[in-house]
Amino acid sequence: MNGPGEFICRVSRQVSLGTNYYLIELEAPVLAQTVSPGQFAMLCCGEGFDPFLRRPLSIHQVNKHLGLVSFLYKVRGKGMSWLSRRQSGDQVSLLGPLGRGFNCSKPGSKGLLVGAGVGVAPLLFLASELVDRGWELFILMGGRSESGILRPDTFMEYGEVKIATEDGTSGIQGSILELLADELEKSSFDRLFSCGPVAVLKGVQGMSKEKGIPAELSLDEWMACGVGACMGCVCQSADGSYLRVCREGPVFEAGEVVLSG
Amino acid sequence: MADLAVNLAGIKMENPVMSASGTFGSGVEYDSVFDIGMMGALVTTGLTLESKVGNRPPRLCETPAGLLNAVGLQNPGVDVFIKDVLPEMLDFGVPVIANIAGSTKDEFVEIAEKFSGTGVAGLEINISCPNVKTGGMALGTAPEVAAQVVGSVVESTDLPVIVKLTPNVTNIVELARAVAAAGADALSLINTLLGMVIDVEQRKPMLGNVVGGLSGPAIRPVAVRAVWQVAQAVKIPIIGMGGICTGRDALEFILAGASAVAVGSAFFNDPLAAVRIIKELDEYCGEHGVDRLQDLVGAVWK
Repeated sequence: MNGPGEFICRVSRQVSLGTNYYLIELEAPVLAQTVSPGQFAMLCCGEGFDPFLRRPLSIHQVNKHLGLVSFLYKVRGKGMSWLSRRQSGDQVSLLGPLGRGFNCSKPGSKGLLVGAGVGVAPLLFLASELVDRGWELFILMGGRSESGILRPDTFMEYGEVKIATEDGTSGIQGSILELLADELEKSSFDRLFSCGPVAVLKGVQGMSKEKGIPAELSLDEWMACGVGACMGCVCQSADGSYLRVCREGPVFEAGEVVLSG
Repeated sequence: MADLAVNLAGIKMENPVMSASGTFGSGVEYDSVFDIGMMGALVTTGLTLESKVGNRPPRLCETPAGLLNAVGLQNPGVDVFIKDVLPEMLDFGVPVIANIAGSTKDEFVEIAEKFSGTGVAGLEINISCPNVKTGGMALGTAPEVAAQVVGSVVESTDLPVIVKLTPNVTNIVELARAVAAAGADALSLINTLLGMVIDVEQRKPMLGNVVGGLSGPAIRPVAVRAVWQVAQAVKIPIIGMGGICTGRDALEFILAGASAVAVGSAFFNDPLAAVRIIKELDEYCGEHGVDRLQDLVGAVWK
């Protein structure tokens, strides 16, 4: 199968990861076989027509063998709140796989993953894929406080993890961008991979340019269709035109996009 | 299976369910999701003479039972569309209607002429987009201006001309009468309602364009009312649209006087919406002993 499909998936488990963060695992055997790191799905997050739009969630983890796909998300509003109340055995509809993910076939052997808050979601699937391909990984995780550092132990299975929190409750006290600057001073990397708030992505973009290290950025934007039909989720490209985050992205080479905000 | 077929101003469709402009891309985006060949007809995204980059983001904002958008007709321009996109759309084997969006009367004529002999089944004149600075709604609120645009396009093409009207007017019936008198072959009712959402934390508008067009179930009663009013005032067929998500929603429009319906925002809620709506229309006919769906058009007032 080349394009996305619509699937009704059984929830295999829902795990609370502390305040407002959840991990939902779905039985989605076709998706598990076809999806690649950085891609996403549009999840139906309610009954009826309010909320009206589906929610784009990037794939957090895949078990091809068991046909399971999981999503890591933060409850912000009505839709994610509905999703967090689904329990094992309930059903969730989704459209996927969608978008252009990380380019795991680029040459290189030493990678630095930079994930802030719930932005770490796509980086776990990426980490497992890159490690399978023989990459050595270093992982930076950032958040406001310890409760926003999601699944650090799982990330440690794929590489050395360093943490920064604004309040110093975990790792160093400060910004993940300070960690990044520090790390780039100390050693060299073939490629950076990042997902998180725009401020973090901008920082990564800037340092990538300054150091001449290619970086891939995963963007988050409100979406309606998720398939490239409605032109609703655009970001500005380097040449001034608009690129669809759902189709040309959500992962872009750092030099491709102009980040605002 | 009931007879769902409709001949809309010479455009023959197997069923009355079309895609609404701007919501369905070229259909290719949904090709792997469902069989596009089962749609009644496809309507293209709004096409301008030159390529258009569209409005600055954010372009979308969810609202209660709907969404606000200000895309601003981002499209590759009519020439690139005809060369690169249209062939793929025609391959689906269903009628393709080109939604054209000139910024002046002359541009409308120029775009319309470019579609002669391309294989499209009809033109939908977009004088109702609320998100562009020139053309769009600016040409579609004064009856005499709208009639001039429509009259010029009708003279310049052999294709059926459908006119998509805005609900953002005091009297939509007067507008509909004017474009019908100017030679329109059919009407599309309604385009989006002009709206606005404000982020109270940032104290700024949510959309980059400040205002945008509201669509989805939230606007459906407004759209049904517009169809009901206009259908009684003009003789040309109407394509009803505005928040149609189910077969019963589609039936409201048909009973109000629409010969066909278009599905738009519903694709975002359920990518299989069109398939389901066609099935639900057929089921309704079965349950109510209706042989021909077209017999129900305007049944509320006829």
